[in-house]
Amino acid sequence: MEAKHDVLVVGAGCAGMRAAIEAHDKGADVALISKIHPVRSHSGAAEGGINAALGNASEDDPEKHAYDTVKGADFLGDQDAIQVLCDEAPGDVYELERWGAVFSRTEDGRIAQRPFGAAGEPRTAYAADITGHVLIHVLYEQVMKREIPTYEEFFAWKLVLNDDRCQGVIAWDLLNGGLKSIGAKTVILATGGAGRLYTGTTNAYACTGDGMAMALRVGVALKDMEMMQFHPTTLAPTGVLITEGCRGEGAYLLNADGDRFLERYAPNMMELASRDVISRAEQTEIDEGRGIDGNVLLDLRHLGAERIYERLHGTRELSMTFAGVDPIEEPIPVRPGAHYHMGGVDTDVWGQTTLEGLYAAGECACVSVHGANRLGGNALMETITFGRRAGAHAAEWALSHTTVEVPPSVEADSERELKELLSREDGERPWRIRDELATTMHENFGVFRREELMRKQGQIVEGLQERYERVVVDDKGELFNNDLTQALELGFLLELADCMIVSGLARKESRGAHARPYDFPDRDDENYMRHTVVTMPGGRPRLDWRPVTVTKWQPQERTY
Amino acid sequence: MSETAFDTIGPAPTPTMDVALKIWRYSSRTGERELKEYTVEAPEWACLLDVLDIIKDRVDGSLAYRKSCRMMICGSCGMRMDGRAVLACKERMQPIVESGHVPVISAMGNMPILKDLVVDMDPFWSKIRAMKPWLQPGYQERPEKEYRFSQEQMNPIHKEALCIMCGCCVSECNSMEADPEFLGPAALAKGFRFVGDPRDGAQIERLNEYNGEHGIWDCTRCYFCNERCPKGVDPRDSIAKLGAESIEQGIDHDLGAKHAKWFVKSAKTTGWLRETELVPKTQGYVSAIKQTKFALGLARRGKVPIPFPPHVAEEVSEARALHDLIAGQGREGAKGIVQGERGLARIERSDAGGAKRDIAEVTPGEEPAPAGH
Repeated sequence: MEAKHDVLVVGAGCAGMRAAIEAHDKGADVALISKIHPVRSHSGAAEGGINAALGNASEDDPEKHAYDTVKGADFLGDQDAIQVLCDEAPGDVYELERWGAVFSRTEDGRIAQRPFGAAGEPRTAYAADITGHVLIHVLYEQVMKREIPTYEEFFAWKLVLNDDRCQGVIAWDLLNGGLKSIGAKTVILATGGAGRLYTGTTNAYACTGDGMAMALRVGVALKDMEMMQFHPTTLAPTGVLITEGCRGEGAYLLNADGDRFLERYAPNMMELASRDVISRAEQTEIDEGRGIDGNVLLDLRHLGAERIYERLHGTRELSMTFAGVDPIEEPIPVRPGAHYHMGGVDTDVWGQTTLEGLYAAGECACVSVHGANRLGGNALMETITFGRRAGAHAAEWALSHTTVEVPPSVEADSERELKELLSREDGERPWRIRDELATTMHENFGVFRREELMRKQGQIVEGLQERYERVVVDDKGELFNNDLTQALELGFLLELADCMIVSGLARKESRGAHARPYDFPDRDDENYMRHTVVTMPGGRPRLDWRPVTVTKWQPQERTY
Repeated sequence: MSETAFDTIGPAPTPTMDVALKIWRYSSRTGERELKEYTVEAPEWACLLDVLDIIKDRVDGSLAYRKSCRMMICGSCGMRMDGRAVLACKERMQPIVESGHVPVISAMGNMPILKDLVVDMDPFWSKIRAMKPWLQPGYQERPEKEYRFSQEQMNPIHKEALCIMCGCCVSECNSMEADPEFLGPAALAKGFRFVGDPRDGAQIERLNEYNGEHGIWDCTRCYFCNERCPKGVDPRDSIAKLGAESIEQGIDHDLGAKHAKWFVKSAKTTGWLRETELVPKTQGYVSAIKQTKFALGLARRGKVPIPFPPHVAEEVSEARALHDLIAGQGREGAKGIVQGERGLARIERSDAGGAKRDIAEVTPGEEPAPAGH
């Protein structure tokens, strides 16, 4: 066994680093493990901002933030968790600023806040349009300050299950090769999302749902997995994100006729309606022939060059590089793209899973604060608040328990499994399975869902899984063998797709990101105001239901 | 699904092109090195990273390179194309294909290569850590909420805060090639990110450290870092800001600082750079005497002007007026350079087609009302 720690955090994005910092400050021996260097994590690609009721741009309070979040979630969020998030968010944002985060400023020198989708107040604190970048760097600065050991470019592959507790991680050392087992009294999963399930995603190549799949494989349930958010403004062809901050600053969405089509879908909030509503509106326009080459147009021109330079500089850079369009001169062609998994590892408000010693935080977790649709700006906030809470709880638990053991049999089994994969010579390389999975998920489990297409997708995934069992890794070497890790990632993705389809078929209603206009166009609170939970006993998905926690907001009709 | 299908969203098939690349393959285990050529079919929209992906997927799975966000923010995919450091995700291949050129792809410079295009970033990060790169608020009272500083006060570190730590500047650094211990452009830009932050209280301590051996004055001002930075951070300008700020704070013990000060003084008093006095003013008289033989040799060949009587420019009053004008504008230290950058940004921005570089000035305006309200 490589090393033992009180707390081992898997993934070093915003949630992971915030968790590690908190565990360190609580006195625990904590380490981070990440398949890419911490600052390469995809939190850094978040653009628009982080939501907290600071009240710097208007009268605001956590109660309003909570209501907007509950409604945005289409009443599938747990209201106790949402209350925790909204109450603790301001303190967490102030702390980031005091650590050195370079936020944009108001006239009187406070943190600037901008309007964002489905928010009743301008609540999204921002650093121009590189908020995630600024946060990931400030967190890494704090990690360096504390000298928190980091297993960089270690690919976490399996959780160590021993004595009904999670007691560490088995990882592939990318730089030097070889499996390493790292024992820990507690493990916090903070591995982010699984956007790579889709063609056309805002997510990085690293977003392959590793933590969710690892948890699933040790019997922990995944919650609300059908809830994949499609972001309304992504660039063709690969899905690069154009921030909601554009619309926050006042940009219009236009169809081929030049109409602000949201008048017909969300007459009050228009471009600042919730993401699910806008993505559906866009897809409808495109499907009904009012798109332009599968896109609609995001028009920033009336904002003027000055505002674009000041607040949306990164957006302009992306748009010019990837679409050849200068938004000062021309509207940007955009379309919905897979963006964020509201679902994930089932946890409580301290990040605890049902398995002792295992925690999850950030996008890979489902607390749930986002329910069926996340508000823009709430994801970064969740990483910080629930990262901190998971770090604190894990440290406290670890400091009151002593033993860690990674049984030699677990190591030997993993070695054998890996050797078998690496020694396979005849078969298919992973890329075509990966590409077919991503295209078919887009076609059959996208913005709109049909019963028959979801069923078809279930069969497709089953077929891909059969092919995956004979997959061949081309690189047999030890040195920086990410050919191997990419094959392992595909295994994770296929299992998650299975969970999503099972959950999607079971939810016979339309709620948030799960839209079934052809058979169940309405929300059905009586039967489906509850979470789907999936486990994988014996390799087959088993669906269950869990109640939604309602505190003070009863479900009501949701319009924008 | 056909074997060459790319991005099958939408009815139209993606137009493709044949891309040829030469890649320097390398293994630090065996020391073997080979320039291999690959030709693959790729979508017309492909960037260098997409082409590498196609080669790795379909031709040789052992090709090693780093990648993640593919949108110029994670900083993973720094490498060299035809000897220039680039982010692979930012480089569009179509113009290169159309020109008929076959680019050579290799690992970044100034860092040990592990395999193919993957370098060992440890030396890079240890220099970043040497800057103590975290806010040290010093004796300031910790506010209950946020520190209150205006946008204008925060502007000086705007560009440094854009840095994604990709290593492209370090790869190209000529000084580091000569002295691997040189702190280098990325670390020094990170250093200015704190020196220029009004919330930081360790400015003097930091400047003293950055003025040491292998510090700011070892930069040769080749400007490769500015030119190759994919994010417009302009690390050489950060180094200039650190130098200006050091002198402003009286931290001028390094020869480099003395050298720079004499430039200013000479220009002010004579309108010229008096080169013969540069050596004694920089190195001190004792050390300069040792150079006498060398100086005489130069003089014999007409490489140095005769120092006596001291030459003063005819229009020296203009040079002095300019010096006084700037001195009266409160542009001492880093502030002067930051203001200069903002001026440049405005000029470049007014060109047809908009800005080429980032703007340092951000003026908070009124928030627009949500649409439809």
